[in-house]
Amino acid sequence: MAVSTSASETPSGQRPVWPLSSMRARVWIVSGVVVLVSLIGLGLSWRDASIGAPLRPGLDFTGGTQIQLERDCGESCADLRAIQVSELLRGLELPEEPGEPLPNLSAPRVQLLDGGTSLLLRLPTLSAAQGQAVIEAVTSVAGPFIAGGQSVETIGPSLGGQLLRSSLISLLVAFAGIATYITIRYDRRYAFLALVALAHDVIIVCGVFAWLGLLLQLEVDSLFAVALLTIAGYSVNDTVVVFDRIRERSRQDVELTLRQQVDLAVSATLTRTLYTSGTTLMPLLALIFFGGSTLYWFAIALALGVIVGSWSSIALAPSLLTLWEPSSD
Amino acid sequence: MARQQGWFALVLALAIAAAALLFTSPLQLGLDLRGGSQITVEVQPAGEIKRVVPEQMEAVKLVLDRRVNGLGVAESTLQTVGENQLVLQLPGEQDPSRAARILGSTALLEFRALKLGAEQDFKSLRQLRAQTKAILRLRADQAKRGELSDQSGLDLEELAEAQKLFGLEGASGTETEQLEQLLAKVNDAIVELYEPAALTGKDLVTAGRQPLQSNPNSWEVTLGFNSAGAEAFAELTKSIAGTGRLLGIVLDGRSISEASVGPQFKAAGISGGSASISGNFTAEEARELEVQLRGGSLPLPVKVLEVRTIGPTLGAENIRRSLVAALSGLALVAVFMVLAYRLPGVVAVMALSLYSLFNLAVYALIPVTLTLPGIAGFILSIGMAVDANVLIFERIKDELRSGNTLIRSIDTGFSEAFSSIVDGHLTTLISCAALFFLGTGLVKGFAATLGIGVLLSLFTALTCTRTLLRFLMSYAALRKPLNFLPSRQLPSPSV
Repeated sequence: MAVSTSASETPSGQRPVWPLSSMRARVWIVSGVVVLVSLIGLGLSWRDASIGAPLRPGLDFTGGTQIQLERDCGESCADLRAIQVSELLRGLELPEEPGEPLPNLSAPRVQLLDGGTSLLLRLPTLSAAQGQAVIEAVTSVAGPFIAGGQSVETIGPSLGGQLLRSSLISLLVAFAGIATYITIRYDRRYAFLALVALAHDVIIVCGVFAWLGLLLQLEVDSLFAVALLTIAGYSVNDTVVVFDRIRERSRQDVELTLRQQVDLAVSATLTRTLYTSGTTLMPLLALIFFGGSTLYWFAIALALGVIVGSWSSIALAPSLLTLWEPSSD
Repeated sequence: MARQQGWFALVLALAIAAAALLFTSPLQLGLDLRGGSQITVEVQPAGEIKRVVPEQMEAVKLVLDRRVNGLGVAESTLQTVGENQLVLQLPGEQDPSRAARILGSTALLEFRALKLGAEQDFKSLRQLRAQTKAILRLRADQAKRGELSDQSGLDLEELAEAQKLFGLEGASGTETEQLEQLLAKVNDAIVELYEPAALTGKDLVTAGRQPLQSNPNSWEVTLGFNSAGAEAFAELTKSIAGTGRLLGIVLDGRSISEASVGPQFKAAGISGGSASISGNFTAEEARELEVQLRGGSLPLPVKVLEVRTIGPTLGAENIRRSLVAALSGLALVAVFMVLAYRLPGVVAVMALSLYSLFNLAVYALIPVTLTLPGIAGFILSIGMAVDANVLIFERIKDELRSGNTLIRSIDTGFSEAFSSIVDGHLTTLISCAALFFLGTGLVKGFAATLGIGVLLSLFTALTCTRTLLRFLMSYAALRKPLNFLPSRQLPSPSV
């Protein structure tokens, strides 16, 4: 046992590894700044004329046609630049559909994925024949393509709105359910703070993606909505385990101050939280490195959520709990 | 110890059952993994109908279902999603435009008179149709009973000749498929014999059914038209009354019923705007026809919302990539757990393998269609399933450090970790439930896989880990605190 008498040592001689309450101001500043930067990103994105929403909405929300093509050239694909393809598309004459205006191809979005072996085109809504015409045209500069290696998705805008609405409603109901459960099992303070931590995590992940949308033109799709919902679940789970320890402490060591109880409890679960975040991050890192382009940003959003979620459960939420202590300092 | 062995036997039995289940019923793969097309359509309110009710959805679905079957894609599924949407999945189909075109057009009900002089052709075609249907029915019966014989008593020779006539000789496929092709050809030929439509379903207001007064086992289907329809119907029936020319009722280009009009209607036709079709229907057939007519008579427009086509190669590539990610993620976690926790780490790896096995078995059992996000959810849930084990082992370590005996530490570790594990899992389950019942599509599927994972993780953490650990503790060689903690972390014996 250590014999030093640091300020955070408790009367019983236990010494927290992570003297949280002595640095709670710093924790709040860090969280506050990151949340602020995130909110600025969301705001800028909203103000941006080309986006007009807190996050740059992808095809799933705006509607349109997305074509993915796998180039048939093995390891050594001939050099191809996205601009070649977009210039070609701009000049393309599409077959007409009776009764429908011709889609405007003046601003196609072309991305090269997986080291140039895969091609992703985002276009306004096309009919099947028009989509085929696009594929044929692109073959002349980027082909040949693997037969059976293409995907064409055409999505109407109403589906995205519906997805957004139903996700938001179910998220709110989930919040209410969780808050009720924590209130019954613990008390209102814990429920409130679990939701604060959750909001903190969700805002930061959204903020990072807002900045990515501003800087890299990254769009969010329905997978991002799924990632956010998962992060929300993970965040609360993580926070509740720490709260459980704090409650246990507060029953065991009644002679200690709330700050001391919180410090000891958080220290006791520190290894667990870091290990759990680590073991959750490992498969996510595998997804990021080996999962291919489809799940790449999904895995990044989740990994980000896991990191922020761990921070909020070992630093933010418990340090806010100490605010309830009557005579602090 | 006997109790531990009981649990151990149970876990072992479950593992064997799960493995057997996975061998016999393979996992259902989503279209993003196997390639194919998915089309989402929305049934839209039109005219006087302001909101689509379930009955109208059923009528539309029935019509669409028949059209989908007409496409001839194996294992296609048509599901109602939410209040007014239908999702059609066509595995392997690479030309979604055809399907979308067929689904997108509305059901068309037509009343058409037989062409002059076509009576004889019609009679033989109708006979051929009845015969083909009879053989199909017989074969279906035989297949149900598991026997196959040629003692059908039906004129197979004549049928073969008919197949030749329609250019179907040497057609590929099973006998049933050939017969269905023939049936479709015969239907087409029958429709060819009709005049253009004199009246369509847009003038049909109601459709109902009732048993015949003369024979309660036989049903008739009743129709009601609006004024324009009533006029056209009277005109049509007047023109064919007593001539032997039949009145054909054609739904989506297929003749579903033919009726004769008696000579008593020669003067004014059938007036009043109502009619009945009696074709020796059973109650079930009459119901089906009624629903079909409603589908035709309520031509709710269907709008194609989404079309997704994934090439089979791309699907295979997706599977390969997620497999690599899943396996390397699992391997990383396994190495980490063993390094961090030694013997319990090994137990955790075993428990996690059981967790993965049970999870996949539940997917096969329910069945859950595995999609790319579903796999991601599964990979993620492995990481989260470790959490329960970490919580328990950290507690065991705490107990060992404070000088408790090994067995006591294990027991205390489990009971102390219990409440956090339950709280953490229950809060996640609450959000899963909300997402599942209120979410749509992707979100719903993800909530289902995550929810299954959470429940199973609760089970494996609380039973499998414990059972395996206790089982290993029955071997004296393994019963050493050193297997749980590095020596520097152990309390000195003097304490």
